[in-house]
Amino acid sequence: MSFDGTVRAVVLFAVLVVAPLAGLQHWVVNLAVFVLMFAVMSSAWNLVGGFAGYPSLGHAAFFGIGAYTLGIISKHLTVTTGYEPFYWLPVIGLIGAAIGAPIAAVSMRTRADVFAIVTITLLFVVQTLAFNLRGITGGSQGLAFPIPPFDASWFELPYYYVLVGMLALVMAVTVAVMRSKVGLGLSAVRADEDKARGIGVPTGGLKVLAFSVSVGFTAMVGGVWGYYESFIYPQFAVDPLITIAIVLMTFLGGRATLWGPLLGAAILEGGQQYLAYELGGSQFYLIAYALVFLLIMLVLPRGIVPTVADRLRLRRRRRRQAAAAVAEPEPDRPLADPDPKVVAR
Amino acid sequence: MSEMLRVTGLTRAFGGVRAVDDCSFTVDEGTVTALIGPNGSGKTTVFNIVTGYLRADAGRVEFAGRDVTGAGTGRLYRRGLSRTFQQARVFPQLTVLDNLAAAAGYPWWQQFTPRVRAADRDRAAVLLSEFGLDGHADALAAELSYGQRKLLEFAAVLMSTPRLVLLDEPTAGVNPVLVETMERHVRERRAAGVTFLIVEHDLTFVMRLCDPVVVLDAGRPIFTGPPAQVQGNRLVLDAYLGG
Repeated sequence: MSFDGTVRAVVLFAVLVVAPLAGLQHWVVNLAVFVLMFAVMSSAWNLVGGFAGYPSLGHAAFFGIGAYTLGIISKHLTVTTGYEPFYWLPVIGLIGAAIGAPIAAVSMRTRADVFAIVTITLLFVVQTLAFNLRGITGGSQGLAFPIPPFDASWFELPYYYVLVGMLALVMAVTVAVMRSKVGLGLSAVRADEDKARGIGVPTGGLKVLAFSVSVGFTAMVGGVWGYYESFIYPQFAVDPLITIAIVLMTFLGGRATLWGPLLGAAILEGGQQYLAYELGGSQFYLIAYALVFLLIMLVLPRGIVPTVADRLRLRRRRRRQAAAAVAEPEPDRPLADPDPKVVAR
Repeated sequence: MSEMLRVTGLTRAFGGVRAVDDCSFTVDEGTVTALIGPNGSGKTTVFNIVTGYLRADAGRVEFAGRDVTGAGTGRLYRRGLSRTFQQARVFPQLTVLDNLAAAAGYPWWQQFTPRVRAADRDRAAVLLSEFGLDGHADALAAELSYGQRKLLEFAAVLMSTPRLVLLDEPTAGVNPVLVETMERHVRERRAAGVTFLIVEHDLTFVMRLCDPVVVLDAGRPIFTGPPAQVQGNRLVLDAYLGG
């Protein structure tokens, strides 16, 4: 990460750590919890959908797997302080990644739209299992988590800080990917996978790695969400709208960038939660989603961060060229004999 | 002179069309061998099979004395067999330096090392200078002209110090100055010990640079020999002129 990037990250996390201590209202912290959940999931999706260019629509399956896994584990936990389920999150992540690896090895033999269809099929398979494996998941009657003994005055804070930590972790992983040959290989896969394989990039391994890490993080967020909600149902734990949201957020902010998914999550989830409060939890936000998606495709097909970065780069280049032109003026040409090619150019 | 590549009885059909039909030829180490023939004679299909992009229905490919029939493209690349494409294939949204670093051919256990290692940077700097692309290292490949992309693709396959390079129409769509540049680079690399197999339609380029010449027609070789004898060969003339 550049010096500017490091400064931005330090400022962001300093604000995230300090902000809740400034006496924010519950609804604001609750909104922040959901923004953070989607920021982590979008950043995680970005590893496979952004860097590798494989548009997974099945991530909500792993969100549900994480939620149900932690719910099932929590049944056997003695919860005293309320933090015990959080200790299991790394295990949830590993379980999600372990389930994701063989799925990636098979599904990532397909590409683009076929891959999207394969992964959304996975989502519905997992949802169907959640409905029908009643002995394990509770089926449509839902699965209860232990009630956390957190005081009502700061109930959201443990979830909030766990998610801030997860955001820091997923962003650190993203930076590590971008700065290593893993990121270079994934970018090559996105641009031209056959060519990448032909120049010795281990495409298969990199794709499976990216998918596993990505769904591992998604499963962890699912676990936090389940514990936060205290009661989960298949239609909400394995919800196609979750997938659509994280894809949309990444597209809006900018795929294959560090800050894009975070920005997209802040705008979309923040906006959606705010509208839900204002409009009483109506489904109008879905219309807003459709409008945003159309606008992105029309106006910002590469997302906010890459578009702004391109414009800044162009402006810097023009300034440099202008400065160079002032520093080294072209030799005088005879006025009566202009070179027609130079004029035309 | 030892054989760098031996192709034996290679056959590949697409539906009812036999694109490559019992094709056999060899490429000796240190040569610049041309593979020419009229359109549809199977040249690119042979390239695709030899480099692992396509599976043969029958036949055998040996590279540097080892049977590599059916081996994957990545494995062949790391063993020293690399290629370019008819339409220059670079990664447009990566920088020129990234394009070169990506082609360095690191195995999976070295993927967690820095994106561009010092060794990559040094090697890339040498190649960019040799190919007249210095100053473009940080430019996106998409910003290069078509000819520059051809040069970048050629330079990229040299990042891994290959033993045999297959060039698919290296002069297609480039200006005469760049044709000479390509020719110079092939000669220099040949002098450095690299073997070439070139598919090319520009016969003057072939006659200047290549020896021997393998002529394909309907998926099988009809002539193999020095360039001076190609133009007078009856079978070759019939294949090209439809006699």
